[in-house]
Amino acid sequence: MATGSNDMPDHRKRNTFTSYVAPMVGDLRVTADTNEWCLPSDLRDVHLAKPRLLSGEQIVASAPAYMYSPIAPMESSSSNSSPNITNNSSNTTSQSNGNNGSANRLSSSHKEASFGLLSVTNFKLAFVPLHARNLLPASASTSAAAAASSSDLYQENTFLGRNEVTLNNIDQLYTIAEQGRAASALQAARMASNSGRRKKLEPAKQQHINGRIVALHIICKNFRLLKFAFQQQDSKLSDYGKLIASALARFAFPMRHDLSFAYAYREPYYATPIPGVSMYASKNDWARELIRCGATEWQVVSASAVPQLQNRLQACKYTLPPHFVIPKGCEVERFLQLSLAFCDSRAAFWVYSYGSGGASLVRLAELQPASQQDNKLENIMLELVRKCDERRQLKLLQLTDQLPSIQDVQRAYQKLRRLCTPETPEKFMLQDDKYLGLLEKTNWLLYVSLCLRHASEAAATLRASITCVLQESNGRDLCCVISSLTQLLLDPHFRSIDGFQSLVQKEWIALEHPFQRRLGHVCVASGEQAPDSEQSPVFLLFLDCVWQLLQQFPDEFEFSQTYLTTLWDACFMPIFDSFQFDSQAQRAAAVNEARLVLRPVWDWGEQFSDKDKLFFSNPLYQRQRGEITAAQQHHRRSLAVGGGAGGHNNSRLLGTGAGASPSRYTINPQLFATQSSVPQDRYLQPAHRILDLAVWEQCYYRWLPVLDIRGGGQPQVDLFHRLLLSNIAKLQRSIELQSFDELPDAYYDSQGETRQQQQQRQEEDQPVEYVDGVERRRKSNPATAAANGLQQVVNGGGGALQLSTLSSFFPFGNPIAGDAPHELYDILSSSSELLLDTSSMLDKSSIV
Amino acid sequence: MDATSNQPDKMASKTASSNSLDSSSKSSSLGSKHGAENGVLRDTPFAYLEGEEDQDQKNDVTYVCPYRGPVFGALTITNYRLYFRSLPLRDQEPPLVVDVPLGVIARVEKIGGATSRGENSYGIEIFCKDMRNLRFAHKQQNHSRRTVFEKLQANAFPLSYSGKLFAFAHAAAAQPTTSNANAAAVSAGCDGWAVYEPLAELRRLGVPNDMWRATKLNESYGICDSYPAVWAVPKAASDDFLRRVAQFRSRCRLPVLSWMNPRTQATITRCSQPLVGVSGKRNADDETYLSYIMEANAQSDKLTIMDARPSANAIANKAKGGGYESEDAYKNVEINFLDIHNIHVMRESLRKVKEACYPTTDDSKWQTAIDSTLWLKHIRCVLAGAVRIVDKVETMSTSVVVHCSDGWDRTAQLTALSMLLLDPYYRTVRGFEVLIEKEWLSFGHKFQQRIGHGDNKHSDADRSPVFLQFIDSVWQVSHQFSNAFEFNEHFLITIVDHLYSCRFGTFLCNTEAERVAEDLKHKTTSLWTHINSSLDQYLNPLFPSFTHGAEPVLRPIASVRAVRLWKGLYCRWNPGLCAPQHGCQRTRELLSKQDQLFKHVNELRLKLTNRSNNMQTTTRLASPMH
Repeated sequence: MATGSNDMPDHRKRNTFTSYVAPMVGDLRVTADTNEWCLPSDLRDVHLAKPRLLSGEQIVASAPAYMYSPIAPMESSSSNSSPNITNNSSNTTSQSNGNNGSANRLSSSHKEASFGLLSVTNFKLAFVPLHARNLLPASASTSAAAAASSSDLYQENTFLGRNEVTLNNIDQLYTIAEQGRAASALQAARMASNSGRRKKLEPAKQQHINGRIVALHIICKNFRLLKFAFQQQDSKLSDYGKLIASALARFAFPMRHDLSFAYAYREPYYATPIPGVSMYASKNDWARELIRCGATEWQVVSASAVPQLQNRLQACKYTLPPHFVIPKGCEVERFLQLSLAFCDSRAAFWVYSYGSGGASLVRLAELQPASQQDNKLENIMLELVRKCDERRQLKLLQLTDQLPSIQDVQRAYQKLRRLCTPETPEKFMLQDDKYLGLLEKTNWLLYVSLCLRHASEAAATLRASITCVLQESNGRDLCCVISSLTQLLLDPHFRSIDGFQSLVQKEWIALEHPFQRRLGHVCVASGEQAPDSEQSPVFLLFLDCVWQLLQQFPDEFEFSQTYLTTLWDACFMPIFDSFQFDSQAQRAAAVNEARLVLRPVWDWGEQFSDKDKLFFSNPLYQRQRGEITAAQQHHRRSLAVGGGAGGHNNSRLLGTGAGASPSRYTINPQLFATQSSVPQDRYLQPAHRILDLAVWEQCYYRWLPVLDIRGGGQPQVDLFHRLLLSNIAKLQRSIELQSFDELPDAYYDSQGETRQQQQQRQEEDQPVEYVDGVERRRKSNPATAAANGLQQVVNGGGGALQLSTLSSFFPFGNPIAGDAPHELYDILSSSSELLLDTSSMLDKSSIV
Repeated sequence: MDATSNQPDKMASKTASSNSLDSSSKSSSLGSKHGAENGVLRDTPFAYLEGEEDQDQKNDVTYVCPYRGPVFGALTITNYRLYFRSLPLRDQEPPLVVDVPLGVIARVEKIGGATSRGENSYGIEIFCKDMRNLRFAHKQQNHSRRTVFEKLQANAFPLSYSGKLFAFAHAAAAQPTTSNANAAAVSAGCDGWAVYEPLAELRRLGVPNDMWRATKLNESYGICDSYPAVWAVPKAASDDFLRRVAQFRSRCRLPVLSWMNPRTQATITRCSQPLVGVSGKRNADDETYLSYIMEANAQSDKLTIMDARPSANAIANKAKGGGYESEDAYKNVEINFLDIHNIHVMRESLRKVKEACYPTTDDSKWQTAIDSTLWLKHIRCVLAGAVRIVDKVETMSTSVVVHCSDGWDRTAQLTALSMLLLDPYYRTVRGFEVLIEKEWLSFGHKFQQRIGHGDNKHSDADRSPVFLQFIDSVWQVSHQFSNAFEFNEHFLITIVDHLYSCRFGTFLCNTEAERVAEDLKHKTTSLWTHINSSLDQYLNPLFPSFTHGAEPVLRPIASVRAVRLWKGLYCRWNPGLCAPQHGCQRTRELLSKQDQLFKHVNELRLKLTNRSNNMQTTTRLASPMH
C-alpha cells in the first residue's frame, strides 16, 4: 500500500499521514495554501492535490483518502482456476506471485491503493492522487513521460479527469462503518474490499449518519464503482468519511433542478449550429423531414402559432411540445380537443413515413384513465390517422402489454449493474460461477430482445405499406425506443452520425422523453414506498439495442460503440442541456427564468479533443455512393427548405416563438410535394432472440480491469481496419500525385522490399531463420526480451506496428500502463483522419 | 459463396436450412464442393470422393426434419456418406440436403415396428457425434429399412464388422489416378505428413543446446509405447537413467520436453503421474530428473508442477498406485492443482450442451440452460490453467512440468494451449498443424478410443470430447484476440468435422507406434494435405500480414463473462442460429482493394524506374519515415 512506509521510522507510521506521503521531488509546498482546508498541518501535502475547478465550481468538502480500484486482474486469474479450490498450495502461489516484483506488475499496481485528496464540489466528486504514478507500475522507467503518454490512450474529457465523476452520475452510496477499535488505514482498506457491513445511504430520507465511516462505496449510473477508504485520526480530529458522505448526500441528490451545476457554470458559450444535425426545434425541421419522407398527408403545428396554446389559462391543460405533426385532415382545434383525452396530451404524432404509399409511423399515448371506458375518442383519432394512409391501412401496436414497464427496466438495470460492479474478487468469482443464470435473471437482454422484436415488427409493417401506430401509456418512454429503432432499421440516413443525432433529437428530445425524471437528475422525495419509481434508464435500453444492431451489421453504421458509450456518459454531464429536461417547456423556463445557457451535447468538441472524436467513427462503415457527410460539406444535403437548418438551430429561441416568425398557421408540405427520398432497399432485419444477443462489454465491463483483454478485443480489429483504410488512402494519394515517397509500410512488406531504416534494424536483429519454409525471427533479441507482458507497441523506428497493447475497452478502461508511446496515437489519428475521405471513396461499387 | 448477402434485405438469419453439410453452408467443411476437386463426377447430386462406392439407395424415404417437418426424398448410402436429398415440391425452393459422413455416426437405431401406428413412425434414427440426430421414416412394407440399416451398420462401424475405415479406400483409389497431382502437392509443400518433423521443430526451439538433447531412444517404442520416437530430454540424463525414471511414471510416460522459450530457456515438460501410491513411495531417479529439468533453466531456482486434476482426484489416485509429487520429497518444487475434471465429466457436460442446442433452443431459458451444462466453466478452467502456465513460463521464467493421470488428455490440452499462447508460430496454419501433430498425436492422445472411429460401442466410457474441448478453447482465444491467428473459425470447424469423418488418416489410431505399424503415412492421406492445398478459405483476413510478429504472448481472460458458447459449432444445424459475418466480408474487400493498389503502384514505379536512372531509386528508398 504505502510504498514509502519502509523508509519511515515506525513511530511515525502509526498516526500521521506524512509517513505515507513522501514529498515528491520538487515539492510544491510553497504554493500550498495551508489554511484553506483547516486541516492538521501534517496533512499539508495532500492539499496540493487540489482538483481542477471549472468556472463557477466550488469545493464543498475535501478529505484525504485512499482510492481502491475495483478488482485486480491477477487476483482473479489465480482464483479463476478453481472456484471451489481448497488446498493451500494454490493460495500460496498466488501470494508468491505478488511478492515477486515484476511478476505481477498489473496486479500489484491495482492492489495498491493510491493516496490523495478526495473532494466534493458542486459539480463532481474528484480524487486527485498525491503520487500520480502510484497507479502505474513501479517499473515504468521514464516516469513523467510515461504517465503523460498513458493518459493519451484514454478518452479525455475536458470537464472531467480520470478519477472524477459528476454528481449527476452518482446513484448509490454505501457506507462502511467503523468496527470496534479505531481501524488503521490497512483495516479500512480491507473493509473497503470486504464489504461485509455495507450500509446504503438514503439521502432522500434525510438519514442521520451514525458512527464513524471508514470507507465509502459509490455506485455510478454508468456502472462505475468507486471505493474509498479513510485514514482514521484520533477522535478529536474530524471524521473524513462522514465529511465526504454527508457532502455527497447533500449535493449529489438535489431536490430541484436549478441546484444543478448547469446553472452555476459560468463559462460563456457561443452557440454555433451543428451542421447536419436537425434539432427539430423549428417548424422547418419538421417540414424538411416530412418532405424527405414524402409524407404529404400531414401538417406541422407550432404551439406558438396556436392562439389557444398562447392563452395561459388554456395552455396549462396541455403538455404539448412546441412543434408536432398531425394529420392534415384534422383541424388544430379539433386535435387539441381530442388530445385532452390522452395522457400527456399525446394524441397521434407523426414521426416518420416510409415508402411511396404514405405508410407512416405514429406515436400515440393511451387514453386518460378517466376517459378509458369510452374508446370513441381513440377510434376517432385512429380514423384520422388512417385517412393519411393511401391504402387506409393501419396497425396498432400496443406496447404497454408487450414491453416491460419503466419500473421493469429499472429493476433489470439495477440487477445488471450489480453483476457489473462486484466489490471484491470473491464476489466476482461467485457471480462468475453462475453468471449466465444471473444474467438471465436480470431480464435485461430479454427486454433488449423484446424491443428489437417489436421494432422489427413495426418496420415490417411499414415495409408492407401499412401505417403503424405505436401506443404506450404516456407515449414518451418505450415509444421513443421502438420508434427510433424502427427508423434505424428502415432508413440508412439515421445510421450516419448526423442522422443518428437528428433521430435522438427528434424522438427523444423534441418529443420529450422525460430525461430528468428517468435519469434521476432530480431526487424526488416522494412517498416511502416508491422513492424512485420515476427513475428508469430507458435511453440506455435504446442504446443497448443500437449496440446489438451494430454487432449484427458492423458495416452499416457510421458511428462506433465508443460513440454509444460516450453518449450514455454524456447523460450525466449537466453542462449540456440535451438530456437534462423532461420537456421543452421546462427547458424554455430554465432559459428564461434561470438564465440557463443551453449547450447541445452534439457539440462534441466542447467535451473531447479531435483525437478522441475520431474514435466515434466506425472504420467498417460504407458510405453509399453519392452520400456526402455534412461535416465535409458544411451544409445539409438537398431538400433544404427556406432558411436551412442552421438558422433555427439556436435553441435560445425555443418555445418563446420570438425567432420562429410563423407566417402561416402551419406549413403545408404538399407545396413542396416530393417523393420519399429514403432508399427502400437498405433496411435491416436483425436477429432478436436472446441467444443472438450479447452483453455490451465496453459499456458495462469497462470499469473492471480484470476483464480487460490486453491486446485483444474489438479495438484491435478497429485499429486493423483503420490501418487498412490509411494504407489505401496513402496509396491512392501516391498514385494521384505520381509520387512514391510516402508509401505505407505494408506495401514494402508485400513487395519483400525493405526501406533503409528497416534494413538497418534487421542487421541488428538476429538472422531470420526458416523452418518448414516459415520465416521466423528468433526470439533471442534482447531488445524485445526486455519487455515482458507489455510489448513495445511500435518497433523502434521501423514503423511496423505491433497491434498489441490496446485495452479491449479502449478508449475506456485503464490506460496502457507504462511505456505506451505517443507514436501509436499518432498512427491511430493519422489513419482516422483519412477515414472520412476513404470511406466515402470506397463505396461498394468501387471495389471489385 | 453467400448468395444471401447480395440480396437487398440484410437477413440476419439464413433462410436456407443449414442442417446439412451442403456446400452453401459456410460453417460446414465436409461439403461436396471441395470434394469435387479430386472427386469423380457422376450423374449424381453430389461429387463422389475417390474410392467412394454406392452401397444402397432408396427413393421413397422421408427425412423427419426437426425444423421443416417431414420431407420426402431419396436416400443414398455409400461407403463414406449418407446422403439425402428432398424432391423439390416447388421449383423455387432449394432441395433440402443432408450429407453426413458415416464416421460421424455414433449410433443407429430402428424405431417403430412394421405394425406401428402413426405417420412416419417406422424408420431409423441416427445419433451423430457432431451434435445432431437424424430421423428417417420408411414405408412399412417389405422390410424397406432393413438394407439401409444393415449397410449403415456395416459402413459406419467397419471395425465392428471386420472392415476397414474409409480413409484407406480413399487413399488407395487416389494413388493411381492422381499420382501426378499428389506429386505436385508434395513438391508444393502441401504434403500433410511432412508438416511435422520432430527434429526440425526441436531445432526451431533451440534444441539441442547446452542443456537439452534430442534422443531417439524410443525409436522402436520400446521404453514407452504411447510416446513418440523422438524426445528432447535434459542433457544431464543418460539413456539408462531415463529408462529408470520411466519406471516410476504411470505407463512409463516420463517427463519430456514440449516447449522451450529460446530466450529464457524456461521449459514446459509433460509426463504422467508418479507412481507414489498410498505408501508415498519415493524414487531418487525421478527426483533427480526433475532437478535436472529445473537446473536446465538458469533463470529460476524453482520448478512448478501443474497437476491438471482437482486435488481430491489426485489424492484419490494414490489408492490406484498413482498420485502426485510431494513438495517434501522433491526439492524446490511447488505443486499446483488446476482443478480440471476428468473425461467422464466432460462427456456428460457436452451431452447437456447438445440437449440445450439440438434440435431446438428455448430462448427464454437459454442462458440458464447453457449455464447448467457447466461447459463454459470447464472451458474457463482449461483457459485459466493455461494462463497460469504462461505466467510461470513467461513472467517468472520458471520451468513447468504438466501432468494429470496418464498425461494424454488434460495434459495435452494444457501444454498445447499454453504453447499456443506463448508462441506465435503455433497460431499460424502451419504451426497449428505442427502443434496438433506434436502435442496430441505424437504424445499419444488416444483418438481412436476417445472418438471411437468405426466401432459401434457408442456408450464406451473411454469416449470423451477432450480434443473438441481443446479446439473450443482455441476458438475462445481466437475470439478474444481476433487478429492473433492466421486461421479462421472455418479451419477449426474443418478439423472438428474430419476428427470424426474418417476420410483422412490424421486422427486414426491411438499412438504414434500404432500409426507407424498401420503405415498410415502411405496408406492414407493427411488432413493437412487437404487443408494446405486450398488454404485461402481457412485464412483469417484480420491476421495482420504486414505487422512483424503478432503479439508474442496472449493472456486470455478466463472468466465466464469472457467465454462464450461456440454457437458456430454447436448450434450450426439450427437454421438461423449462425450469425452472419458481414464484417469479414468488408475486410476482404478492403484487403483486395489494397492489393489492387499495390499492383498499380508497382507498375507505376516500374515505369518510373525504367524511364529514369538509378538515382531516383535511391531517393525513393531513402524516403523519410512518418
